[in-house]
Amino acid sequence: MRQGYSYSFGSRGSKFIPYLLLAPGLIFYLVFSLGPSVATAGYSFTDASGLVGSKANWIGLDNYKEFLFMGANVRDNLEITLRTLLFSVIVTIVQTAFGLLAALLLDMRLKLSNFFRTLFFLPVILGATIIGLMWTLFLYPLGGPAQQLLGLFRLHSEFLGGPPSTVFYWIIWIQIWANMGITMIIFLGGLQTVPNELREAARIDGANGWQVFRNVTFPLITPSFNTNILLETIGSLQAWQLFLVIKGPTNGLNVLGIWVYALAFGRQSNNPTQAAMRQGYGAAASMVLFVIVLIIGLTAQRLLARRERGILG
Amino acid sequence: MSSILDAPAQAVSGSESRRRLGSKIVAMLALVLIALLYLGPLLTVVNVSLKSKQNFNLNPTALATELRIDNFAEAWQRASFPVYITNSILYTAAATLIYAATAVFVAFPISRKYVRASGFLLTLFIIAMFLPSAMIPQFQMMLHLGLYNTRIGYILLFLVNPMGIIILVNYITSLPRELDEAATMDGCGYPRFVAQVVFPLVKPALASVIVLHAIGVWNDYATALIYLPKKAFMPITRGLMVFYGQYGNDWTTLSAAILMLMVPMVVLFLALQRWIIDGILAGSVRG
Repeated sequence: MRQGYSYSFGSRGSKFIPYLLLAPGLIFYLVFSLGPSVATAGYSFTDASGLVGSKANWIGLDNYKEFLFMGANVRDNLEITLRTLLFSVIVTIVQTAFGLLAALLLDMRLKLSNFFRTLFFLPVILGATIIGLMWTLFLYPLGGPAQQLLGLFRLHSEFLGGPPSTVFYWIIWIQIWANMGITMIIFLGGLQTVPNELREAARIDGANGWQVFRNVTFPLITPSFNTNILLETIGSLQAWQLFLVIKGPTNGLNVLGIWVYALAFGRQSNNPTQAAMRQGYGAAASMVLFVIVLIIGLTAQRLLARRERGILG
Repeated sequence: MSSILDAPAQAVSGSESRRRLGSKIVAMLALVLIALLYLGPLLTVVNVSLKSKQNFNLNPTALATELRIDNFAEAWQRASFPVYITNSILYTAAATLIYAATAVFVAFPISRKYVRASGFLLTLFIIAMFLPSAMIPQFQMMLHLGLYNTRIGYILLFLVNPMGIIILVNYITSLPRELDEAATMDGCGYPRFVAQVVFPLVKPALASVIVLHAIGVWNDYATALIYLPKKAFMPITRGLMVFYGQYGNDWTTLSAAILMLMVPMVVLFLALQRWIIDGILAGSVRG
């Protein structure tokens, strides 16, 4: 079982010491993260609420029945689920393309490349609050910078004050703006592994820029492409922080991530079904999101791995 | 964008070098265009933070004409900046220190297979990304333990970071095993070995892990929104949102507050950029 080496510190009786020292970190993880994560499944079968002193009763599949088939919100829930998928598809495609473009441009090592790389990466460390507020200001509808730009083309927008269907696309853009730096950095790491001689050789053989990219560079960065697609797919399906900061739970704008929050922690709402921190029901919504992430994540991983084997052997 | 300096040493036909210069100019223009997308919102905050309220209402976009620091003084006082910032520093420092210390003691024996079921333990950390959000049961637990709306409770929630464990395990695997053997020959005990030999050796990876974890704690808003309704306990992220909720259109003060929060972060980012990027690359490598 052990691979030919063994623990040989101290006397024979002290083999428990590594366990002892490992315990705090592992216990924190089990108690505060993994345990609660798994317990979400259990809570989804109860009518638990978030109020102090309330008791949770086992109600079987009622939450799922309500969420999927017979509740007042079934239509909303379906819309929210579809919107989550739409959000994820757009974010993944655009962010990958945008990040790849930025990485390719930086990889040309022009002047100021370091400055550009640092600038594009900066939002990654700023966090949802600063980014959300910053964009709310940039998109200030009464003569803010974005409005003035539109004004040049005699256009006008309410931006984040507009209808939810429009705000949705602004949040997609802000999400991409915020996270493109990670995609770019991962692509840059991949591009460093592509030998310059290969590209030069292809060029000498008469390939143009696009052909070099299509037939040499792009296949060789398959691992970082796959990493990016997987990270973005899962990350965007679970995303909710920017929704929370920019608009909070809003009808017509919610995705599953923020819907879980609204159901479980939303205190004031016109909708009587979500007035009382319905944590059992929220847990069921959370499980729906989990199943979606699992199905899409595993499928994506399998497809990407097959493609990688096809290209890189 | 100089053509002469960048020209290759070998003789290249005139049309070829002109074509390359052309593509460089196009690339530079594209980079500048993307840079504007990123500078726009950042510089807007700087500009608005220097404007007077009347000036902002008149034209939010026009450049500030004077250097005013009133907004910063106002943000410092009216937005309770000192209280929130102190909380943020406390939470970030405490959670990061405890996490970093425990993480190495988790990663080292797993990486070396000094504990049973190491592979299984590592898997437990890897699957975290896919699992459902821990938010709801976590809240129930904290409520029952009486840790809701307490500083300790909030810190306890940030002693976990599976990605950091994975980064450390991968890094430790690359350390030569002969070290362990030499240490045991010298009669060095396990705790001393980890504390005095492993910690210094994993510094590069640990630095990345520490910086990434600290950023995560510092930027948290959602957890603070759920757990810390008491103003005296709020970190700066939540404090800013409270201020925004109360004085929704006071963008000059709010911009000053955002800027005061952002400038130290940007400075730290410039200094620590390498560790952050290394960490993200190490954490994204698939096993």
